[in-house]
Amino acid sequence: MATVSPPMSARPRLRLGKLLPYILLILGAIVVFYPFVYMLMNSVKPGREILHSPNALPSQITFSGYTDVFERLNVLLLLRNSLILAISITLLNTLLSALGAYAIAKIPFPGRDQIFGFMLATMMIPGVLFLIPTYVLMYNLGWVNHFFALIIPAAVSVYNIFLLRQFLDTIPDEQLEAARLDGASDIGIFWRIVLPLMKPALTTVAILTFMGSWNDFFGPLLYLTDPNLWTVQVGLLQFQSGVPGENVQEVWALITMITLPLVIFYFIMQDQFVAAFANVKFK
Amino acid sequence: MATRTADISRSTPAPSVPPNGAHLWQRMLRYRWGYIFIAPWILIYAVFGIYPLVLSFYLTFFNYSFVRPDDLAFVGIGNWVRGIQDPLFWQSTFNILYNQAIFITLTLGLGLGTALLLKGITQGGRIFRTIYFIPVVTSVIVLMTLGGYLTSATGPIQNVLVRLGILAEPIFWQSTFWLPMPIIAVINSWKWFGVSTVILLAGLYSIDPQLYESASLEGANSWQLFRSITIPQLMPQIFFLLVVDFINGLQMFGEVYAMFDIYGGNQHQALTPVLYLYAQAFDQSNMGYASTLGLLLAAIIAFITVLQFRFVQRDVE
Repeated sequence: MATVSPPMSARPRLRLGKLLPYILLILGAIVVFYPFVYMLMNSVKPGREILHSPNALPSQITFSGYTDVFERLNVLLLLRNSLILAISITLLNTLLSALGAYAIAKIPFPGRDQIFGFMLATMMIPGVLFLIPTYVLMYNLGWVNHFFALIIPAAVSVYNIFLLRQFLDTIPDEQLEAARLDGASDIGIFWRIVLPLMKPALTTVAILTFMGSWNDFFGPLLYLTDPNLWTVQVGLLQFQSGVPGENVQEVWALITMITLPLVIFYFIMQDQFVAAFANVKFK
Repeated sequence: MATRTADISRSTPAPSVPPNGAHLWQRMLRYRWGYIFIAPWILIYAVFGIYPLVLSFYLTFFNYSFVRPDDLAFVGIGNWVRGIQDPLFWQSTFNILYNQAIFITLTLGLGLGTALLLKGITQGGRIFRTIYFIPVVTSVIVLMTLGGYLTSATGPIQNVLVRLGILAEPIFWQSTFWLPMPIIAVINSWKWFGVSTVILLAGLYSIDPQLYESASLEGANSWQLFRSITIPQLMPQIFFLLVVDFINGLQMFGEVYAMFDIYGGNQHQALTPVLYLYAQAFDQSNMGYASTLGLLLAAIIAFITVLQFRFVQRDVE
């Protein structure tokens, strides 16, 4: 008997110790996920109910918020503007950052280390410094109310060059040297060998850039004052700060429409998403 | 372009050694594609990085409105004197430091706690990580709209707090003086703690398990293990999060712009430096003063970053 009792008393404690992390993690997951449930729930709830019992389940499911928002607000125009910006920035930035990363990682041109050191230093400069003078510059260029104001400065970024360079460091130089000895030019090596090899890292960078542009609010607010050029984020803010309470159902529908594509996108490509944020360190 | 030539000339050996110079020229020619591939960044950074930076310093000495560019008036260091004496600027700085102190404590604490829990479990870690990371994809406007409804006087959170007796009655927190900054910090940490979690989790996995084993053999309990192994070993990640969160967080704009007027409410309870700068630039149309405020904020950020490098990085070996 004496030999049996210690495991008997230890087992429930062990089990609780094993269960406790799960209980905490599940509670955390509920807290994290709840706002999305709330958002979805209110987007299909009749408007009157949202105002009077915002926290209760809908008594009936209605999609009138989704249909009405298209009548009250030119959602298609907002989506079009956001997509034009996000797609052109993503394509340009991914390509130009990949070119830069290839140069920094694999072409030993004189001055390379100095340029890379300078690049890293620019990452530490707070963006607020550029805000006012860049606006003055854009204003004088005539780019206020022009997509160029958002696309051109975002056409290449140090952070993406940095991420891609890290990835390129894992590709052995010999592989590229062999191609070079075969007479391939750098541009040929880049197109035929480096770009295909970099695909996973390029996806990560593209996702990050797309999300950044889609979610960007400050840029469009500053440079796109013409309602015909508004993006979904600016449109949402203008729409929800209209008459309080009046269009609440449409606001929820619009929030859901703006967020859900990214959430679904995230679920499909979550490893690339997470990779873009994890494993970062100085040096 | 200017930076490129400057950087190259720095690495150029003394001109009195022609063979070396010729050698360098040959290498530059041979690896010319390197310059061509990096040129887009250099061009764009020269125009949209370096030029604005120079312009920013220039503008601080003038009263300048971009809509009336001819009214450019030289004021010397007037904008700087005004900025240093401007109570609204200092209030906005206080607000953002108050907000960041809470935000950083929360994201680091939640991130570390979650990472430790995830490291400890054997199954389902991926599912939890997936869920904790979702809020990262929300935009700042969606975040504040959602957060605004959830925390409103009629929203579910206050509803529960009133029912539990923690709150006597619902609060319209936006119009109080002390509540906006902590509540925005809580909303923001909902969005961002997933990032801290994955970064710290990666750090936890890189700790050599032998460190724990040998310390356990010497009789260290789990709190001692945590304090003397986990935290010191995680310092590079913690330090990174601290520095990056501060640099980004001190420049908060969208969160307060979405919920308050451009002066941060009637008591300026939600005025942040960047919001104030925005108001100066686009409401008062004073680009010179706004530029000065930008430089002042950058100086504060630089000061805090230097302090962090001095006092925190000391612990990072």
